[in-house]
Order: sequence, then structure tokens, then C-alpha cells
Amino acid sequence: MPKIRVVVDPDLCIGAASCVTIAPETFQLNEENKAWVFDHGTEPNGHTYERWLEVTEEEKENIMLGAQSCPTLAIFIFDEEGTQLFPEL
Amino acid sequence: MNYLIIGGGIAGTTAAEELRKHDPQADITLVSEEYHPLYSRVLLSHYIKGKIPRERVFLKKEQWYAQQRIEWLPGVIAQHLDPRNKFVGLSNGREYPYDKLLIATGAQVRSIEDDAKGVSYFRTLDDADHFLQLVMQHQGIQRGAVYGSGFIACEYINLFHHFNIPTTLVYRGNSFWNRILEPVCGELITRYISQQGVELHPNEEFRTILGEKELEGFTTNKQEYSAHILGIGIGIEPQFFWLKQAGVEVNLGIRANEYLETSVPDIFTAGDVAEFFDPIVGRQLSVGNWMNAMSQARVVAKNMIGIKTPFNLVSSYATNILGLEIIFVADVDKASADQIHFVGSFEQGGITQVFERNGQVVGGVMIGRNKDRAPVTQAIGHKHSWVQLQEELLF
Repeated sequence: MPKIRVVVDPDLCIGAASCVTIAPETFQLNEENKAWVFDHGTEPNGHTYERWLEVTEEEKENIMLGAQSCPTLAIFIFDEEGTQLFPEL
Repeated sequence: MNYLIIGGGIAGTTAAEELRKHDPQADITLVSEEYHPLYSRVLLSHYIKGKIPRERVFLKKEQWYAQQRIEWLPGVIAQHLDPRNKFVGLSNGREYPYDKLLIATGAQVRSIEDDAKGVSYFRTLDDADHFLQLVMQHQGIQRGAVYGSGFIACEYINLFHHFNIPTTLVYRGNSFWNRILEPVCGELITRYISQQGVELHPNEEFRTILGEKELEGFTTNKQEYSAHILGIGIGIEPQFFWLKQAGVEVNLGIRANEYLETSVPDIFTAGDVAEFFDPIVGRQLSVGNWMNAMSQARVVAKNMIGIKTPFNLVSSYATNILGLEIIFVADVDKASADQIHFVGSFEQGGITQVFERNGQVVGGVMIGRNKDRAPVTQAIGHKHSWVQLQEELLF
């Protein structure tokens, strides 16, 4: 299964919640209205804005869609080699 | 198949992208009033504040359109529709035929009659560039003013605050979002803004600007104000005379069913311009937010290619005025609600206003109470009553 790193920049996040709507297993808003990153609906080692995730291709596509739907491009996705998959450079 | 999309914003461009995914062979034409490739309006304030460089506001590069084999027509608007012969007359003088037509033209800002250097609007990237230029030109000697009391007024208040520009806020009503919020919620917001040093002048009507070429101030029905920059945030209005002429049913927006089909066969709508039937809250809604526009675009593309898909989404919009979070979820029209309920209080510094209709929670506004967002959103989606929701909320 592909491994990806999902990072939310809380300074850019405005709580638009598009990511939560598309990928609720990966993104949930906190009390500050910023998106924490979840691992399949759970939070091993507590709240965090960045996480390594082991996902299926289908899950990866959906997380990518969640990132693409963010109006402030606050979500960054990297592959195992550290290459930024989104936003495209 | 020949798809014609009028409107190059997030709704129109997302629909074009989805259509291409579903139909590699189709002809897709995207007509855009603006010259820029797709950018995020939501990022404009981040750009002005210097949080991101200008190039980061763009969501698509110019070459993307060609790569996707989308015929992109920037700087062009639609002027005429012939639904019988199925073509649209464009401002470039050409007529474009369609098999399926999507109207995703968004809305234009309401403007004041006067203009001078210093009068600012906040809708487009060009507006953002202009605002930044005004701020740079007047460094250190400014007074900022805002006319309006809605989303754009909030943006201006935050921007002036960011640049340490003293701010005067003038508006027609008693408070913010008069058609949405009960007075106690409005007071919570105005008290907060006032405590942050913004000078508030409710119940005043703009009259005229002062200054010949450059703005020096403006007058209202009550008094005269000095200002170097005047931000106008008095709402938006769609322009659809060309659709009305063609017999497309319009009201506040273009009327559509839950499949985003208009009253005319093979013509669809999505985004801010649509007044669609929302099956969750059970009435026609016009919603002007990013999540709604992008999600509708994905659904409308399916319907355009013939995969019948209803639009089902509890959409929301979050804003922030000088640190106070305000979130609007689903149907927040006060006049359409049977009952209004509150959680929290003015004294606690946070209130959630819940809208109920026919025994069903249909909308909510959270002011300084982010924690209520998830339960309220779920209650709307599950068509719960206020009594059921109350059990979920933390008072």
C-alpha cells in the first residue's frame, strides 16, 4: 500500500471544511476551526497537523481530492520519497 | 458531445475538469470573463497580507486548459442564448453551439455610482492587486473606511487591521447580517469589533464620495467622513438578463431542481448563480460559498453526461473577524425559519443560532462556538429536530 505524508498548514487553513466533507476519515476540524490530520478516523499519538498514512490507491485518490478542494491550498501531500504530490510545483 | 460552459470560476472550471475525466472525446468550451487562469478568491486576503506569494493564488496554469483539451476563452462573456437552436452568442462576436450548456457565471459585486482612486472592491485578483497598490501608496497617512456589514466588510476590517490602518465602518442596518442573525448575535459581533478599535456607524446610508481624482472621504445621510481607502462590501447580484430573455426561469438565482437542471432542457447551472432545490432542507436555496460551488460542479458534470445524480450537501462557510470565528451552515435565512433557538449567550461571548423549520433543523450560525459546528451539521444532514440536537450540544 502507498505511504503518503499529509500536512495541513494551520496558518493557511480557514476552516472551509471542504476536506472534511470529502475525506472525513483523514480530516476533522478542531476547536480552532483548523483541520487535524487523522489516520483512518483515529488519532494515534494525539492531535497533529501532519501524519504518515498507509493508504490504498483509492484512499489516496480521495485524500488528494480533499486537498484539491481546499480553497486556500492548505493541505500538502508528499510521497514516500518526499516528492510533493500536491499542490503541484 | 459538445459541452459549453459559461463561467470560468471554480464551478465552471471544476465542471470542465470532471467532464473531461468522464468523456475523453467530448468538445469542451469554457468561457471566462476574467483573463486569469483559475485562481482561488478565498486566497486573495492571504495574498494581500503577504502570507503567500501572488503566484500561489492560481489553481490552474495557463497550459492546463490546452493539456486538458479544453477550449478556454478568457475575457469573453455570454450575451445571447437561443435555446431552440442551441447556441450562445458571445462577446467575441461568435456563436457557439452546444449539446449541453452549463451556466456558472457567479455574481457581480454591487457597486456605488461614484468612483475615484481609493474606492475599492474585493472580488477579483485585479481588485486585490488594486487594494495592495492603494495601501502601498498611502503608507503611514491612511484612514480606511468600509461601507457594508457582510462577508466582504469582514475581509476589509481584517485587511485594514493587518496594515495597522485605523478603520471606520459604516452600514445601513443595525448590525451584521440582518437577514440572518437575531439582534443578540449581531450585538455580539459589533461589540467585539468595537472592542478591537473599529469605529462603528450603524444605520447610515452612503451618499457620495469626496475628492476629485483621489478619494479624500465620503458622506452619508448623517455626516462626512475622511478616508483614503473606501472598501465597498454591499453584496453581490447575478446578471442574467440574457437568460431571462431566452425564457430561462430565474428568481434570486437561476432556478434549478436537485439535479441542477434549469427550466430549459439541456441547460444546467451550478455555483453562486444557481437557486437550486436542496432536498435536505426542502426548499430552493442560493448559496455563495466555495464548497457549494465545487461540489455542485462535480454533480452537475455527472448530470450533464447523463448519470442522474441529486445534489446533496450540507455546505458551510467560515469567516473570521479580528479573531472572532463565525461559521454559517446550510439554510440560514431567518424569514424562512419557523423557529430560532440559541446556545450560549452574549455574556459568555459565544452564541450559536439554530434555524428550525417544520420540526427539522435546517441551518446554524456559530459565533465564537466552533465546537457546535459538527453536531449542527450532522443534525441538518440527518434531518433531526431541535430537541434531538440539544442532546448533542454543550451548553
